Amino acid sequence: MLKRRFICTDTTIGILSAIYDAWKMDRTDTEAGIPLWGTVQHEMFCEYYEVEENERKAGAVRKLIRERLGKQAYSDISYAILSKDEDKGTAILQTMVAARELADSHRIMEHLSHPAVRRVFEMSRNVGREAHYWEEFLRFREMKPKILYAEITPQNQVLPAIADHFADRFPLEDFVIYDKNHASYMIHPRQKKWMFMTDHEQKWEAAKELSEEEEAWCTLWKGFRKSISIKDRENKKLQTQNMPLRYRGDMPEYGKS
Amino acid sequence: MQGVRIQQEMSLFEKLNILSDAAKYDVACTSSGTDRRGDGKGIGNCKAAGICHSFSADGRCISLLKILFTNECIFDCKYCINRASNDVKRASFTPDEVCRLTIEFYRRNYIEGLFLSSGVLKSPDYTMRLIYETLWKLRQEYHFQGYIHVKAIPGASQELIQMTGFLADRMSVNLELPTAESLRKLAPHKSRKNILGPMRLVQNKREENKQEIAVYKHAPRFVPAGQSTQMIIGATPESDYQIIHVAESLYQKFQLKRVFYSAFIHVNEDASLPARTDEGPPLLREHRLYQADWLLRYYHFSASELLSEKQPNFNVLLDPKCDWAIRHLEWFPVEVNRADYQVLLRVPGIGYTSARRIVKARKFGSLDFEDLRKMGVVLKRALYFITCKGRMMYPVKMEQDYILRNILDPREKLPGGLGEMGYRQLSLFDDVNFREVKAE
Ligand code: SF4
Repeated sequence: MLKRRFICTDTTIGILSAIYDAWKMDRTDTEAGIPLWGTVQHEMFCEYYEVEENERKAGAVRKLIRERLGKQAYSDISYAILSKDEDKGTAILQTMVAARELADSHRIMEHLSHPAVRRVFEMSRNVGREAHYWEEFLRFREMKPKILYAEITPQNQVLPAIADHFADRFPLEDFVIYDKNHASYMIHPRQKKWMFMTDHEQKWEAAKELSEEEEAWCTLWKGFRKSISIKDRENKKLQTQNMPLRYRGDMPEYGKS
Repeated sequence: MQGVRIQQEMSLFEKLNILSDAAKYDVACTSSGTDRRGDGKGIGNCKAAGICHSFSADGRCISLLKILFTNECIFDCKYCINRASNDVKRASFTPDEVCRLTIEFYRRNYIEGLFLSSGVLKSPDYTMRLIYETLWKLRQEYHFQGYIHVKAIPGASQELIQMTGFLADRMSVNLELPTAESLRKLAPHKSRKNILGPMRLVQNKREENKQEIAVYKHAPRFVPAGQSTQMIIGATPESDYQIIHVAESLYQKFQLKRVFYSAFIHVNEDASLPARTDEGPPLLREHRLYQADWLLRYYHFSASELLSEKQPNFNVLLDPKCDWAIRHLEWFPVEVNRADYQVLLRVPGIGYTSARRIVKARKFGSLDFEDLRKMGVVLKRALYFITCKGRMMYPVKMEQDYILRNILDPREKLPGGLGEMGYRQLSLFDDVNFREVKAE
């Protein structure tokens, strides 16, 4: 039999739609795969399907995962979808296929000796870890007129994973987080629901000018960081280990102000 | 009171320098222990797992704006830079200055909240009242809903401590030194009684508060993230055994969330302090104490299992868990597919997250070494102590010396070089992202 391949875009809607199509065709197919556009490698004996992507399919799959696989799996899968790894669609689909075999499908994420489950687990952990790092190390600058603006450069598409954290934290602020690597924005207008936007849709044009006080607060922060360190214990290696260099690009405490 | 006059002319920058510099010897900087979402009307929330925002040049986590309200002090603790008899530059914040700093740092995601301590200005009550006023302003006028860790000033009235506790997430009273005798010697104005007194008060009030919350869901929370304390290590002659015993009883009798250990740092010349050496602060010793502390809190070890009168100090070469395992080879090897969770916890290289994963995953079928590795087990250490499906990973001799020689790793993952603090405690845990909490 030919192996089925469902090709989709590297987006949440894309991947969920592909799962929808695959599931509809045969929910017991342990060979089915979901390659992403741009990374498809032609294999022998494969049958390719171009997925038509839409919110209806995605919604149905979300509901299916929540009901059949439970909360834990839903949250792991939502994170895995944001992963930088190309096999994510396939791993998620095969995790769902594997769950059908269990007496209690809600325990699927505990089945770590299954290769697909393990992949979803690893990807989820990796995305979660990176998201956590950005929650720690992202820095806002205050721009005119009183807008907070931050840039991040994540490997995974962490924006959806950190959005709720910042929205909950700063309900009364106008703020924007820009993911440079994936050219997407989270835009949070004060006291309103936030939204995502990509560069293709609309280039976000904000005043690129720092507010009057920005420099002063940044200087206070730098001074604080210096005076809080204990000379007798100095240990740059430990500092680097705890705060990897790749997160420092946009921190005011490292140069650029 | 010459100091007061100087203050008026001091810039905020200068004050912040002085008052963060003076606060830095307090080691606690965690922001964990409580989950609180914002109510949409202010600024801030709290994450139980805690968040570090930066790391200072000494590798320690910066999570909170750690400052003293003032470094004026009428007390004269021998080890302290701010003691009354020292001639240092003095400064005091105003409550509004503390609030603005907290809010503006928080908005930029520099910090998770405020850690407010203080020298004793005029009297313990006078100081405690200033601290209370500051927190009240920050919560009520600036609508700050992020994390606040506050110190209770020894000797302050119960009432003030209680009122302050309703505004803070965590409260701490420093034990300062492991025994009453050392305290008498080095901190003549403090006593065991007026340190343990407020500790007990906070503990009882928290208990009461739990009942209140059970009845009235919206009752105000009292110190929801619990209390912690710290002890200075190496200023006085106590052994590691004495120290972890004290820690253990603080956990058991006072329900503390954390005990912090602070390697003694020479800032004053004083006949009652140990002579200054070139070795610097006892960081490796401090690190071992932190490791042992994790074992007490998360790994079901007791102090008397780890050390004894005969062996009163930790092995500098080995972490306490490995050290214990090598001295108890009769427990090993254990079969990973069958051993109890509690037993798995005792295997070097298996952290409690991986132990939990193992217990769940093996229900679906037997695990092998590769599965363990993927679950975060450090096989390099674990392999001497486990079997998978009855087999060891390599043939090994179950002999103390043999294992010791093989496991003694000159590059032990002491976080970044020798003897550091390891706030992320890499050498004990399988999960780099581990924060103190999940189990709190
Ligand atoms: S009370 Fe003791 S430890 Fe605290 S600031 Fe004063 S001298 Fe220092």
